[in-house]
Amino acid sequence: MPLIPLHIRKPASTPTENPLPHLLHTPSGLAILELQGTIHFPTLTQNDAASTSSTKVGKLVFPLYNTDLNDPSDTKWMKRVYFYVGVNQRMTGECKKLGKPFAIIRRKEESGGDTAMGGIGDEDGAGRGTTEELEIVEVVRYKIVFSTRPEPVGGGVEEA
Amino acid sequence: MATQQDEGGVLFAIAHELQQFRLLELPPEIVELIDAPNPPLLSIKSQPASPAATGDTAYAVLCTPDKSFQLRQVQTSNSVFITQSALDAHGNEIPVPVVRAIASCTATLELHLFTGSSLTYLNHALPIYDIIDGEVDAAGNGKSKAETFSHIPLSEGQCEVGWKELVAFEFMGSSYRPSPNTLSQVWKSVNSAALAEGYKLDSQFFTDDILKALDQEGYPGDLIIAMFRHLASDDQDTSGPWSCLDQTKTAAFVGQTLLAAKRRDADYLTADFLDTWKDHLPEKWRRAAELKTIDGAFILPSSTTIRAKFGVADSSTPKADSVSRKWHEKFGKTRKR
Repeated sequence: MPLIPLHIRKPASTPTENPLPHLLHTPSGLAILELQGTIHFPTLTQNDAASTSSTKVGKLVFPLYNTDLNDPSDTKWMKRVYFYVGVNQRMTGECKKLGKPFAIIRRKEESGGDTAMGGIGDEDGAGRGTTEELEIVEVVRYKIVFSTRPEPVGGGVEEA
Repeated sequence: MATQQDEGGVLFAIAHELQQFRLLELPPEIVELIDAPNPPLLSIKSQPASPAATGDTAYAVLCTPDKSFQLRQVQTSNSVFITQSALDAHGNEIPVPVVRAIASCTATLELHLFTGSSLTYLNHALPIYDIIDGEVDAAGNGKSKAETFSHIPLSEGQCEVGWKELVAFEFMGSSYRPSPNTLSQVWKSVNSAALAEGYKLDSQFFTDDILKALDQEGYPGDLIIAMFRHLASDDQDTSGPWSCLDQTKTAAFVGQTLLAAKRRDADYLTADFLDTWKDHLPEKWRRAAELKTIDGAFILPSSTTIRAKFGVADSSTPKADSVSRKWHEKFGKTRKR
């Protein structure tokens, strides 16, 4: 039976600008968002798939978060987060400190050359029977959670 | 409301190709390890799918150097996204920061501290190294210590404790645990050698000196070293070339091994036992050979006889007996021919 090493990846330099409140930042820029239900979005057209790698589904708003007014240690803003999905649905949630932090784990990419991600990589790995290695890419201590159903909101807001 | 949505906010997007991630809930002690400047190596071990003696064995455990945690998968009814901050560019627009969901998890993993003993696993995994009438009776398993440990769903530290407890050793590419018989004989030789060469076993001596003195006997060197480690006092560093035995520990060990090596159904006169025990100890330690030294390890079936108590430590004895009986049968057959 194989022993699978679980590596701990040391945080690399901060990647891109993180639009979330500072408390939710992690060195790798990873965060956790939990919601009840699933998000449906339109299937991709050929055109979309070519031009983007993701689909915008909504907007997160932290109505009480204001770095100009509030002290950084003030965590009242965590109590309220809105998630607008599409143009007329909104979920109300909050930011929570996790009692037990979550490690985000993935299969370690083999060093020496970029390995193909996704399906091809998986098949490859199984076929060759390579030794599997895992790594903790981040430890996340907060999550944004929406535990209520979406409510309708009026007024189609057009994104400029 | 609409105005609030209009002002600011963070764009949320879902990646077209989701990646494979798992979420592992971390108990405080593991968070501490990970946060340390030099985090130790962690590993995940899983047990071979065999119906082992114990029913509710873990299918996978996460091991720190000295602790192990059972992994349990917990399904969640909510959608859990792992998001990453990124810059999203559409065509020729100026890239805007977004939060992009890059993975979705339907289950999380929980860790539960597992404080099992490795003795059961090692007893099961290691063949017995027996010496009967000067003949070695042992069938190697072709497995190194490291390989043996890799099959036990416990941490390296927990395995090591059991390994030491059993005086287990590696020899010719296999791992063994010695029978009480073997231990008793090896000890006897060690004691005589020390006497002949004038070594004091309870002060530091060169392990190699004793090994050389016992060269003629043909015992696996690792077995003798394992025995010295087993008998060293708890605060002793046993990694170096020196050994030093703990008097009380050794005296108890010698007494227990002597008892365990005796056939279970045979009567052992308590007086005889005490005499043999004393004879097996260095002159200065003889006083330690009294029953209270091995309290709890024996029973007294009658006022004059003594017997080893059934326990985990001597579970090897019945097996050793059956092996030796077989050996005699084999021997008998060849004779008839």
